[in-house]
Amino acid sequence: MRASKFTRPFERCDHNHPCEEPPEMKLFQRLVASAALLAAAAVAQAETFVFTAIPDQDESRLNERFGKVADYLSEQLDVEVKYIPVKSYAAAITAFRNNQVQLAWFGGLSGVQARRLVPDSEALAQGVEDEQFKSYIIANRKVALTINEDLASYADVMKGKTFTFGSKGSTSGRLMPEYFLREAFNKAPDELFDRVGFSGDHSRTVTQVESGAWDFGAVNFSVWDDMVAQGQVNTDKVQVIWTSPTYPDYQWTIRGDVDGKFGNGFKDKVRSALLNMKDKDLLKSFPREGFIPATNADYAPIETTAKAIGLLD
Amino acid sequence: MALFSLQQQSLGYAGRIVLRDISLTIRAGEKIALVGPSGAGKSTLLHHLHQLQPDQIALCPQADGLVELLSAYHNIFMGGLDRVSPLAAMWNLIRPLAQARQQVAQVARQLGIEAQLWQSVDRLSGGQRQRVALGRALYRQQAIFLGDEPVSALDPLQGKLLLESVLSQHQTAVVCMHNPELTLALFDRVIAVANGGILFDRPASELSQHDFDALYQGGSMTDEHASNQPTADQGLPTSCISPAQPGFNQSNREQ
Amino acid sequence: MLPALLTRQETHSSARRLTAIIGLLWLAALVCLPWADLDIRATEPLDELARIGWGLITPGWDDPASLVQALGQTVAFALLAVAISAPLGLLAALMFHWWPVRLLAAALRSVHEIFWALIFMQIWGLSATTGLLAILVPYTGVFTKVFAETLALQNRTPEQSLPPAWRLIRWLYTRIPQALPPLLQYTRYRFECALRSSAILGFIGLPTLGFHLETAFKQGQYSEAAMLLWAFVALIASIRYWLRPKLIPVYLLIAIWLLPETIGFSNPGYLWQFISQDIWPAPLLAGDLSGTFDWYWKLLSGQAWQGLLQTLLLSQLALLLTLLIVLLVYPLATRRLVGPKIWWPGRLLLLLMRSTPEMVMAYVFLLLLGPSGLPAVLALAIHNGGLIGFLVAGKSEMEYQRQQQQPLQEPSGLLLYSYVETPRQLPALLAWLFYRWEVILRESAILGILGITTLGFYIDSAFEEIRYDRAFMLILVTALLNMLVDGVSRWLRRLAEPQAVSAGRG
Repeated sequence: MRASKFTRPFERCDHNHPCEEPPEMKLFQRLVASAALLAAAAVAQAETFVFTAIPDQDESRLNERFGKVADYLSEQLDVEVKYIPVKSYAAAITAFRNNQVQLAWFGGLSGVQARRLVPDSEALAQGVEDEQFKSYIIANRKVALTINEDLASYADVMKGKTFTFGSKGSTSGRLMPEYFLREAFNKAPDELFDRVGFSGDHSRTVTQVESGAWDFGAVNFSVWDDMVAQGQVNTDKVQVIWTSPTYPDYQWTIRGDVDGKFGNGFKDKVRSALLNMKDKDLLKSFPREGFIPATNADYAPIETTAKAIGLLD
Repeated sequence: MALFSLQQQSLGYAGRIVLRDISLTIRAGEKIALVGPSGAGKSTLLHHLHQLQPDQIALCPQADGLVELLSAYHNIFMGGLDRVSPLAAMWNLIRPLAQARQQVAQVARQLGIEAQLWQSVDRLSGGQRQRVALGRALYRQQAIFLGDEPVSALDPLQGKLLLESVLSQHQTAVVCMHNPELTLALFDRVIAVANGGILFDRPASELSQHDFDALYQGGSMTDEHASNQPTADQGLPTSCISPAQPGFNQSNREQ
Repeated sequence: MLPALLTRQETHSSARRLTAIIGLLWLAALVCLPWADLDIRATEPLDELARIGWGLITPGWDDPASLVQALGQTVAFALLAVAISAPLGLLAALMFHWWPVRLLAAALRSVHEIFWALIFMQIWGLSATTGLLAILVPYTGVFTKVFAETLALQNRTPEQSLPPAWRLIRWLYTRIPQALPPLLQYTRYRFECALRSSAILGFIGLPTLGFHLETAFKQGQYSEAAMLLWAFVALIASIRYWLRPKLIPVYLLIAIWLLPETIGFSNPGYLWQFISQDIWPAPLLAGDLSGTFDWYWKLLSGQAWQGLLQTLLLSQLALLLTLLIVLLVYPLATRRLVGPKIWWPGRLLLLLMRSTPEMVMAYVFLLLLGPSGLPAVLALAIHNGGLIGFLVAGKSEMEYQRQQQQPLQEPSGLLLYSYVETPRQLPALLAWLFYRWEVILRESAILGILGITTLGFYIDSAFEEIRYDRAFMLILVTALLNMLVDGVSRWLRRLAEPQAVSAGRG
């Protein structure tokens, strides 16, 4: 039986223009030959100090912005410093655990998770704002018009409505708001609301509550303030209805084994480099006014809270 | 010495019995023609014989036994796959082995297709394709030859010459035949298959054209091609072109 | 004549079978409907939709180099992954008769690329290795299955006249060259899929298009998002112009060179730690049997069961909707049905439908309809409807070109559509639909952003919470569900297959 000609993907010959070998055959031979050529990609193994920062607010031009931070650290520490961008909290934690990065700008919860996985790692510094961080609960004006300091007073308004957190691993967009909701209502969020979602990040929470896709949302106060200041929020449609008590949040965490790898006292050098970062342009990336010292113990409340709501065992 | 011996056996395919309770003995050195109307079970019998000792037999199936995209050379070469190492066989696909090239070219010369040796077989005419199929059987280099109308697409004279040469190169041969003249001229025993059994099994010398006329009466010769076309092998034409669809009509073919 | 009678009878029974299968789909969807979560909520999406719309018509990107780099790396991952997984799949296809191979192939392809990437990320971090493996591992599973089925379809006569030799050698000489055109065609199609997978991997951090797309979308920079989307669509639309067989070896070398540099390659000890520790629950590692039982029971009866249910509900509805969408859109790209004028816009529509990531579509529907299963169902159905519509139209187009040489008397317009073309394409359409069933199931798992608690939602949560033991168990459940669906769809595909094909001789 003849092969069905119409099935040819690379038909170039026909009965009027016969060719010696069908093109498939040549390709077939070429494929066989080039299979041998394929070797695994070579992998660079550099003694470089690498850091990352969890994705948070402005994710555009990350390489450019954090590249400057890398340059600054490189200058201060006298080693090659690189930045790798990550997309999720979990990716940042994994990279830290696997020693792919030695230093990371974590959120409160992700920092706790990372330090549990890497013995001897420690929190080095936090932003000036991070000592007293807070979350906002925002609402579409359609569902909640009045503003009340007592979260529990919203019980009736919230009934049958929808609520979105930010990222699942976020401290200000998930952990703390969930904790405060549970505290106020004595209920899990999915019992309290008709539906609970995870928008993915703070700015999406704002956009989606503004559009009415979700009725309520939890958001990082600094992201909200920033977006409002830049006119990115239509405050006729969405407003802050509750401000949380303060808690410690973002911090720089470093692996315990860096002194062994980069020389004694390296950790202290990193700490002072961070604390001495004064350039507004660099600080804008985080965005923080400046950095102040932090310790693991500062984050004990976060760990307790995470355990309380079942995010940590 | 009896090469094949069938006692009261029933043969068929796809769950259908085609030949019932047949008995048959084939001895080394015999040149046997299988004749009979189409659909009578010649091919079934031939394939049954093949399955009895597939490794010692040079089989020449009908024209669909060729691999379209490969050259005549490769189609003939694969008859001798067992004589080269697996690595050499793989390399031969990319660059033909020097020794095999010579041997296959010789087979091709003998068959009159030397000029077409490097053409893919889907570019060849029906006659040339049959020669390639014969070439593969010759290149198997076995003592037993089983052929399913191996020269039906050739003109009688060429067919006779080729078949003669093939028969002379094999100790034993069983060939499905259609042309009575060729059958009588080249074979020494004729087995006629019809109506679900063996109609006669006689030396060729005892037969005449008349016996064939009687055999084919009722069975229409012109149907031969239509009914022997194994449409199932191609399935729906669409099954080849659909990226995500293979397996689509495969259940019929899985055994 | 007997053959004619047989054909008529069999056409009759085939038609009945197809109707029965479609009826089953309706029934399954109807059963799911009351349980599925498809609320529509009033939203005020106009502002946001206007911003998206404006972005779409004003694409812009201020750093062309990074766009080109992202495009290059998207292609690099896809090309290398296919170049490795296709030959591997072919080799495995030779052993497909061996059940462990079948099971392994099913297991590999039952886990979504994103989840593979999340797993490999635990071991190799955000690296070229992770990206490459995340595509090539599931693709090897897919290639194995499809190649094996294609090879099984080939004429077996050539093999009969071969002397005894290794199966690999025998097939290299017979079935593989016989099947080469469909094998290559499928590989090309799969390359397009790999481009999509590669782009999507950017969502979790690999430096492909999805990386920037996700950022731009998150930040509401819709002009940038649109630029990326259009660039991606152009990339896919132009495959046939730049993917020249002769250039493939060159492309492969460039691709290796283009792969992102891996920084601080992690130590192989993590692989062992991952396999021996991370994926097992603490009570099991401690040897506490009743604790282990409790742990698994809690997970299986809670998240796994809930996720399983939601995933199934969602994908059943999406499956039926996909069928309806295919029936609606495939004619738009079929010249025989709509003529040459609508043909090009029709093809563009199908291209857009299948190239826009489901996540993006789901997001737009979320804005429009509010959070529920509905945006997910719509996104899945539109994406897969576009894809199957494209395949059906392509097949119909090829038959059309062949038939133009021997014009047939055929009705026109709606009659042609409903009496000739659709019945003719239906078996293949259904076969593709059942192939995509598996895919819909996998994809429904990654749309947890909508607050629908599919299996994927819980798997994603487990990864976010660094609970690999949970993630592993849930992935296992997902894989089993996939294998089950694969089995059922195989069975349905066989039912849908035309019966007029008779068995070959011998």
